[in-house]
Amino acid sequence: MSGESPPAPEPSASGSSERSLRSDARLTIAKRDLSSLSREKTIVLALLIQLFVAAFSSFLVVGLTSLYSPGSVSAGEVVVGVAGEHDDALVDAASEQQGVRAITYPTDDTAREAYRNGRVHAVLLAADSDSRIDVTVIAPQESIETTLIVDQVRTLLERVERSERIARSQHLDRSTVPLPEEVDASPYFGFTYTVLVPLLLFLPPFISGSVAVDALTEEIERGTLELLRVAPLSLVDIVDGKALAMILIAPLQVVLWITLLSVNGIDIANVPRLLTVVTALTTLVVTLGLALGVVTARRRQAQLLYSVLVIFGFGALTFLPEHPATTVAKLAVDSPTPTTSLHVVGYAVAAVVGFVLARRLVAGTDPEGL
Amino acid sequence: MSGDPPRPPGERSPGTGDSDRSGGLGGWVRTRAENVTRIARWEVTKNAGGVDRRTVVIAVLAVLGLGAMAPVAVSQGVSLDQGIYRVGVVPEDPYYDPVFLDPTFRVQGPDAGAVESGYQEVMIVGPQVREYADTAKGRAAVDELRSSTMRYNDGIMELEDNRSAAFPVVVNLTYVEREAAGVVTQGQQPVPIETDEGGGSDGGDAGQTDATATPNGDDTTASDSGGDGSGSDGSERGDATESGDGDSDVTRPDGGRNVAGSSISARLTGGSSTGAPSDISPPFPFRSLVLAFVFVLPLNFVIQAYGSTILSERINRRGELLLVAPVSRKDIIIGKTLPYFLASLSVATVITLLLQGSAISVLAIVPIALLFLSATFLGAMFARSFKELTFVTVTITVSLTSYAFVPAIFTDVTPIALISPLTLVVRDLQGQAIGAGQFVFSTLPPTLTALVCFGLGAGLYREEDMFTQRPIPYKVLDALAGPIKRRRSVMLVTAVLLPFVLVAELVVVAFMYPLTQAQVPFTLVVGAAFVGIALVEELAKSLHVYAGYAHSRFDDGLRTALVVGVLSGIGFFLAEKLTLIARLADLQDLQIGRAALGEQALLQTGVPLPILAAALLLAPLALHVLTASISALGARRGRRSYAVALVIAVAVHVAYNLTVVTALVG
Repeated sequence: MSGESPPAPEPSASGSSERSLRSDARLTIAKRDLSSLSREKTIVLALLIQLFVAAFSSFLVVGLTSLYSPGSVSAGEVVVGVAGEHDDALVDAASEQQGVRAITYPTDDTAREAYRNGRVHAVLLAADSDSRIDVTVIAPQESIETTLIVDQVRTLLERVERSERIARSQHLDRSTVPLPEEVDASPYFGFTYTVLVPLLLFLPPFISGSVAVDALTEEIERGTLELLRVAPLSLVDIVDGKALAMILIAPLQVVLWITLLSVNGIDIANVPRLLTVVTALTTLVVTLGLALGVVTARRRQAQLLYSVLVIFGFGALTFLPEHPATTVAKLAVDSPTPTTSLHVVGYAVAAVVGFVLARRLVAGTDPEGL
Repeated sequence: MSGDPPRPPGERSPGTGDSDRSGGLGGWVRTRAENVTRIARWEVTKNAGGVDRRTVVIAVLAVLGLGAMAPVAVSQGVSLDQGIYRVGVVPEDPYYDPVFLDPTFRVQGPDAGAVESGYQEVMIVGPQVREYADTAKGRAAVDELRSSTMRYNDGIMELEDNRSAAFPVVVNLTYVEREAAGVVTQGQQPVPIETDEGGGSDGGDAGQTDATATPNGDDTTASDSGGDGSGSDGSERGDATESGDGDSDVTRPDGGRNVAGSSISARLTGGSSTGAPSDISPPFPFRSLVLAFVFVLPLNFVIQAYGSTILSERINRRGELLLVAPVSRKDIIIGKTLPYFLASLSVATVITLLLQGSAISVLAIVPIALLFLSATFLGAMFARSFKELTFVTVTITVSLTSYAFVPAIFTDVTPIALISPLTLVVRDLQGQAIGAGQFVFSTLPPTLTALVCFGLGAGLYREEDMFTQRPIPYKVLDALAGPIKRRRSVMLVTAVLLPFVLVAELVVVAFMYPLTQAQVPFTLVVGAAFVGIALVEELAKSLHVYAGYAHSRFDDGLRTALVVGVLSGIGFFLAEKLTLIARLADLQDLQIGRAALGEQALLQTGVPLPILAAALLLAPLALHVLTASISALGARRGRRSYAVALVIAVAVHVAYNLTVVTALVG
């Protein structure tokens, strides 16, 4: 079975792109891995999963945002009961605010009574303590509704605070900055670019790396790696081929996501640079996965280490001036800075270096020991 | 059999109680317990110990490193939206400071041309926003600028000496449970708020029973918030002016901080009680939910290992040795599963103790753990390779996590949330009482589903299926065709599949629920729910029939098809009575829930005529028999005609439901 050891792997991995026959073999391996992916329909499953994750997270956030900024959905009106000395200020502010209706009660007790009987959502009791307006807010116990109510009440009171500050401005040494006008902005805008897009762009690399671990360790565990090596292929070639396949599919998926997002009216800018980032990150995680596969030769170890190390690395990148997620967000929203471009270049360089190092590691591994 | 006899475990005997053999029942149980323990022990020593020390050390180091990084990263202030909006402003403008201090913005020189050509979102000249890009991004930038300016203003006022002019409004927020208030003043009728969505009344009745327990029980992260717990039970606190009186003209740095500076702990726990208006923060209603998520997370790691060990039995015929050993298949499966199940439970117990939940939390995790394990087991029996298993596992993780998680978001809103046992955990953490009916409603369907999954997987756990490589859809058909021995068994399989139907239908309803809250027209939502539910039901009635035909269990005569279809319909009808447990959770109070439960709930609408009731009972039977026969007729001709017949059956089903609902409700 083993016979003669395969052709000695190149010690210098850098200048090995010109041999046509060998690169052909690597292409064949890449093709073989890709076709096994499509035969098992796993790639479809992978896309579905990502779609699901994206839908799930948007669903969550749309839900959250609609709770926290009541204007964003047609939520029910919040009715507040107002009583006390400064009730007119509160009523004035409420009349300016959408989604809030104030009902004035003559005394605190009648307002509390109304609250207990469920006629108002919350009670605002405005007393005068020295020169301040002291508002006691009574809101229902914690529930999703409470969030909405308290949010509306806070906006209302901030309005009161602003007008009071202006009224007392002669007692103040500093002046406040006037607020810009209210505009009809999408509350999901920031989320889309800072969370959803990075999520969609980072999932394919992560999955690619995980599949790369499987692709290699499975061949080792099933013993088919030996069969592959009967062909005139070195271990480096085999690993190269597997890396190639897995690195290729990530940017393709990303292109798909970007297309889907644009169809939904979310324009993604700087696509070439985004693809560079994704390809570089994919290369890094795939080489990590394959290196782990070669070193441990067991799927379970390699998978465990792979997921832990990738998460660790993702966390460690917060110490960069710009986290990859921020880089992606800035590129996608079209606000890149020179720092952003520098990071893109940095990832590309790191990917090349990582790839070269991984090849050297593989070249130094004795295939018989796997 | 008697290699090294392990002591039979005292604490846990295998839970499957299908004991037909009456002679020597005790001995039989003991033998099985021994077998199971031996396999479980072998599983633990051989497989779980299979990860070598080096791997464990590296993994632990990485996790520790991650934990060490977290506080540093938080203190540095990681902001994902760093520099996404560009604002043109000069240092002389009043807006310069707020823009400069918020990392979301990047400061540029104001340039109208840049705004035009999309290199600048907002241009500020003097004290006003002169121009902003008329794009989604530009408007979002202005909106963001507005909220940063508010924050900045509060910061400026912080520096003022005249506290009363700087913070003219002092807010004292207390949360008062209405029911608790009603208890204090006798004779008051507690009436929950009526809102448009009608959610308030539903949430109210759960809280009503334990109003007195809530002030202490809801605060699980505790001890630093203080404000909400103590403030809420003081029923009459009219004079809440203790913080701000008498210092109108005195500079008091500490006191001032008390008014203006929002304590971070209060912000986290949502219990901020006193301060300027900007300091009060809405309670974070998902706090318990986030904590509950902690319960589900470890399961994902457990099933990784579990799927691995099941699949590795199937690779290189390793599992053959176990199969030829003198133990039954069930013993093998239970033995291999038990360590992972116990691991999940012990993790859940530890988390419960840390979060100060009650035993109910652990009990509610049991069906979730079983569901994760059973789905993984089935997936590992289907998968052809580790690659495929990875995807199957991820699918299971994603779909089951969302099944557990999404409904729990609506814990306080609607009883539909109870379809996920995680809701029980959330309620338990909030200190609410859980009724027995609610518990059964929440846990029974997933438990039954898990058992069905194990059963289907066990059907494949034999030599001829374990070591063959077939695409997953064929494996699914194999699993379904397994128990079909004769025509009669179709009825049984239909009935057994019902837990799936129940869970799937409830998930459909749960996903429709948010749509009813949005602007989507209600009829459209109901229509979508009908189609989803009809599809689920028709699949459950016919997929195994198709599998039976694919495995040539039936002859392709017309009569056989009709008999099989009728049997399937009857089986479904009988088993559907199980959905009556939905009543335990008052689900029929909801409009959408009524639509989902269809005929069952219609009986609830108060039509008293016995004739009508009989018709309502018989009509569903006729419907199920009819649609099952349609798809059975299609199934005998192969895949394509099965698909066509299924579509027809679904259409008939939807038409029926629409007719019934419009005739009786609308």
